[in-house]
Amino acid sequence: MSEDLLIEATGVEKWFGPVKVLDRVDFKVGRGEVVVLIGPSGSGKTTLLRCINHLEEVQSGRIVVNGSLIGYRERNGKLISDKERNIAVQRRDVGMVFQRFNLFANMNVLENISLAPRLLRGTAKSKAEEQARILLTRVGLPEKENAFPVELSGGQQQRVAIARALAMQPAVLLFDEPTSALDPEMVGEVLAVMRDLATSGMTMVVVTHEMGFARQVADRVVVMAEGKIIEQGAPEQIFTSPAHPKTRSLLAAVLH
Amino acid sequence: MHFDWAYFWAQLITPSGAFLAGLGLTIIMSVTAQLLGFIFGLAVAFARMSPNKFLNFIAASYIWIIRGTPLLVQIVFIYTGLAAAGLVRFEDITAFGITFPGNLQAGILALAINEAAYMAEIYRAGISAVDRGQFEAAKALGMPPMMLMRHIVLPQAFRIILLPVGNQFNIMLKNTTLVSVIGVSEMLLVTETINSATFRTFELYSVLGIYFLLLTSLWNIFMMWAEKHYALGRPAAKAPRAVPALEPVQ
Repeated sequence: MSEDLLIEATGVEKWFGPVKVLDRVDFKVGRGEVVVLIGPSGSGKTTLLRCINHLEEVQSGRIVVNGSLIGYRERNGKLISDKERNIAVQRRDVGMVFQRFNLFANMNVLENISLAPRLLRGTAKSKAEEQARILLTRVGLPEKENAFPVELSGGQQQRVAIARALAMQPAVLLFDEPTSALDPEMVGEVLAVMRDLATSGMTMVVVTHEMGFARQVADRVVVMAEGKIIEQGAPEQIFTSPAHPKTRSLLAAVLH
Repeated sequence: MHFDWAYFWAQLITPSGAFLAGLGLTIIMSVTAQLLGFIFGLAVAFARMSPNKFLNFIAASYIWIIRGTPLLVQIVFIYTGLAAAGLVRFEDITAFGITFPGNLQAGILALAINEAAYMAEIYRAGISAVDRGQFEAAKALGMPPMMLMRHIVLPQAFRIILLPVGNQFNIMLKNTTLVSVIGVSEMLLVTETINSATFRTFELYSVLGIYFLLLTSLWNIFMMWAEKHYALGRPAAKAPRAVPALEPVQ
């Protein structure tokens, strides 16, 4: 209780029709911690990530982010679904980076980054654009502010997407397989930005298949299989002496 | 075959004042009805996509009835039918010295109501064609539903539906002729009136056809321009595209 928890998920259950994708998952992330989620496809890691900002609704259990219960209100000990408006307010503290980037196709890079602070934080246009330029420099794309998403490579789009998420100054950043849709030569530039963020003390939850990144950058590696967390610990421990047989077969498969 | 070329050219190049007034009415009716249909159609589309079952039912029924019955029937129903039932009587309205006749009001209303049903389905198709990832990214940033619609989804949907909307206005221009049945003196009714006095049917209807062809062709040219500038998949027109200069071959 004394530790500074940013995300606290307890007993989270999620079904897609008859399929149970999350099975009573308990998951905690401390402030400033970098947690990497790994696991075979279909293990529920992306779903868990999407539950944290309520892009997916959980069917039971509770998720508290930065002190507030996500997606539900408590009334007389019962949980009731919160209004979409209130959920939107809660999401402002949780940044998300998607596998397919999802930059707004109708806006240029500068507008993509500055829109949300202007609309949601009330930042003046000039100030929001100034911050956007600083973020663009940070992700290494200062010359691209007038480009449209279609004019950028995948790696560049993903770096802009990271800048867009950062512009809201979130308490935590969620990464959903941020390099899986990239050509191999672009993976490095995105991982470099993420590594830089981790070093700066950003709280991050990363779903990835990049084991090298997990090993070097993660404070903690969480292994999921069949909707459950089967093992977690320091990267060294997971990668050198995995306890669970499923972790061993997963690592054997991805590390060759 | 007898075709009076002199009469034809006279009607085409120097049409009567009544015909020009009819042309004006055709344009006013189609533009007003299209704009109303454009706005009302968006409301119907939102209702149709709403999680609220009641709104959804109302919108679905509206679309079903309007698209399932002839426009001509709707026009007569709204102007003559409602008045006969003693429900609504469209009276002439005079403001600032201009009279807005009751049958014109009813005609525009009928065209707009009809248009809204088709526009609603076009909006719905356009909105569902916007990539789900765009919705998710906006949601993840913390945008509430209406803000997400206004800033992210609708601007993209408008570009997707540009061509079908252009098509709708083309149809609208021609559908205004149906309003002649309730006595609005648009181009067709004026032509019929002249025809009943002169019986130069072939010449007069050729002229009428050419005027419609002129209107729709002008609209086509505008749409070709709009498509070039706003069609999806291109950066917006405001984005200056850097065209690399060709290196001269030495």
